[in-house]
Amino acid sequence: MTNASTTLDLGSCDREPIRTPGSIQPHGFLLALDAGGTVVQASENVESYLGKPPEAVLGCTLADAVGADAAVQLLPELGRGQVRERPGFVATIRLATGGTGGFDVLAHYYDELTMLEFEAVTRSGAADFRHVFPLVGDFLQQLDDNDTVEDMSRTAAREIRAVTGFGRVLVYKFDNDDHGHVLAESNDGSLPSYLGQRFPATDIPKQARELYASNRIRLISDANYRPARLVPADNPVTNAPNDLSFAALRSVSPVHLQYMRNMGTLASMSVSLMVKGRLWGLISCHNAAPCHVPFDKRTACEQLGQILALRITSREDADELQFRLEVRRTMVSVLAGLTQGADFVENMGSVFPQLLHFARAGGAAVVVDDRVVTFGDTPDEPQIRALIGWLDQHTHGDLYHTDRLAEQFPAARAFQDRASGLLAMPISRIHKHYLLWFRAEFVHTVDWAGNPHDKETVPGAPQQLSPRTSFASWRETIHGRSAPWHPGEIEMALEFRTALLGIALERAEQMAELAEELGRANKELEAFSYSVSHDLRAPLRHIVGFSDLLLEAAGSDTPEKRGRFLKNIKESARLAGKLVDDLLSFSQMGRASLRPVRVNMNDLVRSCVDKLMLDTQGRNVQWHVGSLPEIVADPTFIQLALYNLLSNAVKFTGQKDPAIIRVDGRTSAAETVFEISDNGVGFNMDYVHKLFGVFQRLHRMEDFQGTGIGLANVRRIVERHGGRVEAQSGPRGGATFTFTIPNTLPSV
Amino acid sequence: MLKPILLVEDNPHDLELTLIALEKSQLANEVIVVRDGAEALDYLYARGDYAARQRGNPAVVLLDLKLPKVDGLEVLREIRTTPDLRAMPVVMLTSSREEQDLIRSYELNVNAYVVKPVDFKEFVRAISDLGIFWAVLNEPPPGSHRYVRPQN
Repeated sequence: MTNASTTLDLGSCDREPIRTPGSIQPHGFLLALDAGGTVVQASENVESYLGKPPEAVLGCTLADAVGADAAVQLLPELGRGQVRERPGFVATIRLATGGTGGFDVLAHYYDELTMLEFEAVTRSGAADFRHVFPLVGDFLQQLDDNDTVEDMSRTAAREIRAVTGFGRVLVYKFDNDDHGHVLAESNDGSLPSYLGQRFPATDIPKQARELYASNRIRLISDANYRPARLVPADNPVTNAPNDLSFAALRSVSPVHLQYMRNMGTLASMSVSLMVKGRLWGLISCHNAAPCHVPFDKRTACEQLGQILALRITSREDADELQFRLEVRRTMVSVLAGLTQGADFVENMGSVFPQLLHFARAGGAAVVVDDRVVTFGDTPDEPQIRALIGWLDQHTHGDLYHTDRLAEQFPAARAFQDRASGLLAMPISRIHKHYLLWFRAEFVHTVDWAGNPHDKETVPGAPQQLSPRTSFASWRETIHGRSAPWHPGEIEMALEFRTALLGIALERAEQMAELAEELGRANKELEAFSYSVSHDLRAPLRHIVGFSDLLLEAAGSDTPEKRGRFLKNIKESARLAGKLVDDLLSFSQMGRASLRPVRVNMNDLVRSCVDKLMLDTQGRNVQWHVGSLPEIVADPTFIQLALYNLLSNAVKFTGQKDPAIIRVDGRTSAAETVFEISDNGVGFNMDYVHKLFGVFQRLHRMEDFQGTGIGLANVRRIVERHGGRVEAQSGPRGGATFTFTIPNTLPSV
Repeated sequence: MLKPILLVEDNPHDLELTLIALEKSQLANEVIVVRDGAEALDYLYARGDYAARQRGNPAVVLLDLKLPKVDGLEVLREIRTTPDLRAMPVVMLTSSREEQDLIRSYELNVNAYVVKPVDFKEFVRAISDLGIFWAVLNEPPPGSHRYVRPQN
């Protein structure tokens, strides 16, 4: 069907030298001039136009060859730099040798020769390019922004048929496998319709496709022509066969001519449609009888082809953009849904409808930790497990996709109705966790122009190359295929995967944090129950013991002894009560949520000092409080922490006169550091690791009262703010407690 | 010569009650009181404040489990890993009924584990029983000073 297709057969088509046929079509003649303007090569048919054999023309000037009048018209246009690689129209001339018609003269420069092509035309006047612009203008006017590629192609076919007078004009597109698919047709009925049909990729050999890409228009006026050879056969400058890639008269392969005759088209013309530098498709014109299209009209068609290609480019770009926007919109909503709850698989389940929409799939499945959750049309669970096993073994990389799964994984034949297409996304680098999308089988029929599977059996003809003989429509039903995965979907899926792994990673971190938190809570709970059994039992035992002693002695004891026993009872009761209180506040500290605000630490310290001064009456305590920076924290908690640290300092400076307690603070980029130091007894650094533990004391009970929970509280408060606390004691006593509060609080 | 009892106790109330109980049991042994684990070890190694003490191990160590600085279990471990002290009877005297404390104490070869009773009469009896058993009835490991019953 294609006018330029050389043909099928045995792979030799790919090696046919179509750029250097050594001959031209005889509806014109060719003269090649060297740099000095001397004719160095001519087509053998010059005799029928110029009345002298090619040998007689060689060595002549142009004027000698075609006559002075014609040369006067041509020569000024052939100056240095004016002739390019692609043929340009020079003039329409008449020859001194007579004849009724004129010649459109085209010139191009290639392989160091100026190639002049003289195309015979029936009109006598000059080529008229005025109708190029109305054609392009009309075409543009007929296009609408909303037109599909098919609509635009149909309009282009109609316009081109009107300009050229060909009987049938097709617009067809190459698919991803290079098969041609006829999108639009304009037909006067003289030739069969090919609308909707497909032509196998092998109909057009590789080098023909390359030629289509470099030379955008090609005409064969009469498939029954006898080629006119070049004399001499080789380019005299390069001593190699002439590359006629850009010659309008270039001869085509005899195989192709046979192909045309087989198709019943004696004239053909093709216009290449280049989209983004790639041969997207062709406008292909055919006529049952020979038909010449002069250069001016060909130029108009070429222009129209370029306009169409541009429109297709922008249309496809817009469609692509629209498509990707849509996919991205869906992806964003899926991701938003995924972060809602705690359980990843359940979240996945809640966004299944969007997941399907996202990939235009019929079914989806999540496989995580041996859990298989499916939605829509999917293979059953054992089948999915088998598929995962296969994927794990046979696929690598971030994504696997196919639109013909059963060809890769034969077991998939069992469910190819539901899942011929598969997009599989591993969502863990370690585990067999996958997100799967399934596309149902897309049973469709393909109308081939001739059975593409038969072409290898055609040979037998005497020639090496044998053109296709049958163009009868052949219908094929395709099974086991799904709609193909769009590159935009693949890209978006990869992006989706990255986002997903991000979520998973964040989740893992959260889990680790939770586990850590849980571990801590567990330890605290243990300490809690331990202290209830141990620490609380002690004061109760003391109360009972001293009460018994009092009762037992009943008057026989000295008043001093009785007084001490009573004091012990009171102390023990107070301690028991305080223990319970402290335990409660400590457990609250772990549960209550933080309410961070801007906190003026100077105020906080002042209020703690005021409170402590009530207990230190009679003592000489010197407070040195620096100018403290503000922080963002929970003021109630921070005040408690400060109070614990300051009262600690007061407690352990009990024997000092004066007691000196300093409070300082400084802010760095990341955190604010506070320091509380005293000149008290300090502690043994060997036991510093115990200092912040629950119910740990480093001093004897009677030396320093306390339940041993204050510093545990401090640590808990500071750590909940994302900070840390440290303690330091010098060899000569004194203690320094440092705690930090990050300038940006953790989001817990 | 009666061998002393080493009482390791930080809580002043517990200390007072224990001393009263020992007094009530009418044991003649000297009771040496230390107030934390570190001090107990100083005594046992005869170092620091106790460098000049009379040689020989106590008849029994009554060891509180929960002590500031070095706790009872750590003291016990130290005793059991020191050849000269290893054979010495150690009684864990504690408020804790926690199974874990019990297990860890026995793992470290404690000789007895006594939970201080809440009822004072029982407490007195327990301390008295302990004192009589470990300081009087029990035959101490060879190499120790022989127990000599005091003349009344």
